[in-house]
Amino acid sequence: MATQYSSSALVDNYLRKRKIPSTACSGCGLGINHKIVIQAIEELHLSVNDIVWGTSIGCAGRQTFATWQGDGFAGTHGRAYAIARGLRIALPRDKKIILTVGDGDAFGIGLLHLIHSARSNADMTVIVNDNLGYQSTGGQFGFTTPQGVKTDSSPYGMFEHNLMSEGMDVMHILKGAGATFLARHVCMDGAEAVESVKKAILNPGFSLVHMPYPCPTNFASRHLGSRNAVNIFNWMKERSAPLGKETPDTIWATGIYHDAVGSRSEFSDHIWSTVNKIRRTGAL
Amino acid sequence: MKRYLETGNFAITEGALLAGCRFFCGYPITPATELAEAMSKRLPQIGGVYLQAEDECAAMHLCIGASLGGMKAMTATSGPGYILYADPFGWAIGCEMPLVVLNSGRVGPVSGITGAPGQGEFYLTRYPTQGGNFESVVLAPNSAQECMLMVCEAFYLSERLRMPITVLADQLITDGMEDISVPENEAEMKEMGIRTYPRKHHAGPDFYPHTDALDIPPVQMGIGAGGLCSDWTPTPEGYDIEEVSDHHKHAYRLIYKVRNNRSLFNHHYEKKFMDDDPDLVVVSYGTPSRVVNTAVGKARSQGLKVGALRLINLWPFPDELFKRATTYLSVELNWDGELVREVQRAASKDSKVHFLGSCGDLPTIPDLLETFEKILKNQPLARKDWVLEVW
Ligand code: SF4
Repeated sequence: MATQYSSSALVDNYLRKRKIPSTACSGCGLGINHKIVIQAIEELHLSVNDIVWGTSIGCAGRQTFATWQGDGFAGTHGRAYAIARGLRIALPRDKKIILTVGDGDAFGIGLLHLIHSARSNADMTVIVNDNLGYQSTGGQFGFTTPQGVKTDSSPYGMFEHNLMSEGMDVMHILKGAGATFLARHVCMDGAEAVESVKKAILNPGFSLVHMPYPCPTNFASRHLGSRNAVNIFNWMKERSAPLGKETPDTIWATGIYHDAVGSRSEFSDHIWSTVNKIRRTGAL
Repeated sequence: MKRYLETGNFAITEGALLAGCRFFCGYPITPATELAEAMSKRLPQIGGVYLQAEDECAAMHLCIGASLGGMKAMTATSGPGYILYADPFGWAIGCEMPLVVLNSGRVGPVSGITGAPGQGEFYLTRYPTQGGNFESVVLAPNSAQECMLMVCEAFYLSERLRMPITVLADQLITDGMEDISVPENEAEMKEMGIRTYPRKHHAGPDFYPHTDALDIPPVQMGIGAGGLCSDWTPTPEGYDIEEVSDHHKHAYRLIYKVRNNRSLFNHHYEKKFMDDDPDLVVVSYGTPSRVVNTAVGKARSQGLKVGALRLINLWPFPDELFKRATTYLSVELNWDGELVREVQRAASKDSKVHFLGSCGDLPTIPDLLETFEKILKNQPLARKDWVLEVW
């Protein structure tokens, strides 16, 4: 059973007080996702100096940038994965890179870079905080917006093919691309989500945890006609189920999708050991 | 000193390694591919890393990441790739991340002719990203040997100014074979005028002071100083903020750390036959300047009072070189005229400014001589009928 930590202890140990509370809207699920990640870090007994924290744009980027007490950066739209790969080469091997990004950033504009990070098995943990569309820009549909959902840019209901419908799942793409650890949790998953994030952080390779969370302000107010956080939390909860226990209504099957930890060499290990060999012998 | 008969790409590679570059990431594109190939061979030999990215945007972001981790990094491309650097370029400017970018120009627009030299990115190198509120530094060599020197210089300036710097060459310089001397030790580097500056480590959590100060180490990740950087407007500590007053301070630094420290690089130009206040000053940069220098020498032997001004630091534009009222001719490897507009702007109002363009091919010496003569005699220039007569 995972230890329960008080928020104030986690804040003291890991976060910049100036950034707490965050500027996320009240009732937003993003803070819960963020807490899951921090709790995983705490349970792994990692210190602020062990981790470089990267974010990107949108609600997930803007609300988590600079909340981490240690080193942190934010990349432009969809590019944090490419920055992280370059950084991975330069960083001491024991430093961990955690990226807390949004769904548009990871599965839209940054998908190519994400795939190549998975291909190269670069040691980073990507936490995709999925608010089911583009909420920071006011509430447009994205590539994981459930079918039929009304948003400002899908007034007839989301009807485009996307990465979470018709049997398609962005996890298949990432698995095919070579990711060595993949999991999905909704923010209500609590301790189970913490366990998956811990495994992701410990994987010396590319890990991604997809964590859909409720956005009361834009998503819920457009689709459910209410900003009441309880409604959207319930709506999401009803549509999630553990892997293997899915119902016809399930959108998010939760749990560990793919665990191939240790199956392939890690990007920077591979590059540096190859470079060192070439340097020593002049050949491979 | 070791001598080689080699390409500009070879010279750039050796120059970068001398400057301490240990990370290169690019995306294949003619005519910059050979540089990537040279880096892929040389870097591992000295303990550096070469990577090939999924696209140009990623290539420069990977360089940014390496630089953010404390390595000296470089990338290279041609015009169609340089435009894709716009996104990471902005990040590196805003986050003040040192980086060197080589652009080997070819004929455009867009893909144009892959194997012919062009100078269509003069303005693009000034404004390599969106949003304005920054100054840029661009160096333009005209030989393989100078490529080596200018790449070293770009690394030096990039570290001291804490910003990405472009070296703007073209296909003739990077692909052409020339005599190149490569220094083998520090004394020889000094003798050749090569300046180096080590990567310094960020000592504290602060992002930057709101001043034009030089020599502030860039933010570095992984040393636990709590360093922050982002593409948002930063506070002095690196937090993101949506306040115009903070943005004003940010922009001030990005603009004036370059403008107020021009003495670092404003000696980068070449004058030929300029001591007697010539009646015609021929302005150029990069490969065309080599033909211009020869043509101006010939014109002098024919009694024409012509001088040549070759720009090496293109941006910030060296306005001070155009103070004297005279007649200027801008010779460029493009048809639309880019450098000429800056000459027009910088030249005193009593000056006359002319333009001679070519594209994919250098102007010939007879062409240049004929143009000099006509300008000096106040005769209309021989133009192809689709070229504008007047600027
Ligand atoms: S817009 Fe939605 S996702 Fe963004 S902070 Fe507000 S509630 Fe959260």
